[in-house]
Amino acid sequence: MDASLFLIQPAAAEPIYRQMVQQTRRLIAGGQLVAGDSLPSVRDVAAHHAINPMTVSKAYSLLEMEGLLERQRGKGMVVAAQRLRMKSQSARLDLIDPSIQALANQSRELELPASVVIDRLKEFLEKLK
Amino acid sequence: MNAQADVMFDANSAALEARGLMKYFGEQCVLNQINLSIPSGSVVGLIGCNGAGKSTLIRCLLGLMTHDAGDCMVFGENSLRLSDNNKARIGYVPQQPDALGWLNVRQMLDFVSGFYPRWDHAFVAASIARWNINASTLLSKLSPGERQRIAVLRAMAYHPELLVLDEPAAALDPVARRELLRDIATRAADCGTTVLFSTHIVSDLERVASDIVFVHEKNLLLQMSMDDIKEHTLCLRLSPESASHLSGKVPGEISRRRHQNSGISIVIKREQNQEWPAICHAPGIRRENLSLEDLFIEVAQ
Repeated sequence: MDASLFLIQPAAAEPIYRQMVQQTRRLIAGGQLVAGDSLPSVRDVAAHHAINPMTVSKAYSLLEMEGLLERQRGKGMVVAAQRLRMKSQSARLDLIDPSIQALANQSRELELPASVVIDRLKEFLEKLK
Repeated sequence: MNAQADVMFDANSAALEARGLMKYFGEQCVLNQINLSIPSGSVVGLIGCNGAGKSTLIRCLLGLMTHDAGDCMVFGENSLRLSDNNKARIGYVPQQPDALGWLNVRQMLDFVSGFYPRWDHAFVAASIARWNINASTLLSKLSPGERQRIAVLRAMAYHPELLVLDEPAAALDPVARRELLRDIATRAADCGTTVLFSTHIVSDLERVASDIVFVHEKNLLLQMSMDDIKEHTLCLRLSPESASHLSGKVPGEISRRRHQNSGISIVIKREQNQEWPAICHAPGIRRENLSLEDLFIEVAQ
């Protein structure tokens, strides 16, 4: 995998290391990254996106602590073998919570009733099919 | 013996440090009680309005300008009495690099390279070729952007451990700017280079900076890691109604701004592992996460 794997939005309210953690979780949960896949090196990610290398290390360390990545000699960071290849539905649902939370906040600010928002969300999901 | 002591101290000390720094221009105070410590290996963005004292702070820190009280240190050594050894570990690019304008690009780089045993000829050649700059152009005939790039190149070519850039991106187009950021990120990754750079382009800092130093009206208002700014600061927007009920300061308040409709916005900061204060959840108060640019505007207005 090369460094373009990550989509970095520096001006987002979410810090860059969190963006990387979330994206990696999603890629693994969705099966785009499978056990044994190498992640791009800290240097490559930092150089490609012109971001601070410590930010990249921080994201990788957190993912390592979560057990999603492991450090392999000579290969750098790879996707860890066991666990959550295909997570349970509830675990995958947890991953989308931050986005739903944001949606809920904005719906309330705009005083939109839940049913209307849910219908609109269904429409968007239909379009993807 | 002294030099030995400095080296020993160096291992744990900050790359750059100011303690109680005061600077006056005549009667006017331009830097007031600045306490600042820039740890080795960090990439620090210095922001502040025009005239806030950014360039003066940089020049005082490096000992290029005398100050009126307090101490400035580079690698743990007094900035005004830096040893040649430590000077060679610093790369500095001023806001308007106009030295040696009568030389052409190649002559200048050849001349300067003679002073530095660690001069990276390959890096210099590759950069010049990539940028399509004609090396036989006189420095004084280069465009401001090219001049700036050559100045940064000169400062990076000898692999300084500390790189200090005063508005390095001001004259650069977006492509050149991104390349500069990439060079900074790569240096930080490969060599652990400490970088301090001032800029008005805050989105650049959101990319590459590990820490932000905010100078406002001669004071150091904020020194925080970039991640803490995003996770531990918040803007509260109070409607005119709730603003009228507010008495006193909010816990962790950094700044407060009154809007035309007599609503208020307040920027607050919480400590690590601390909850947001109760007021954040009160009705009529909207919480907003801040980008660095939002923060700058909230605090500077």
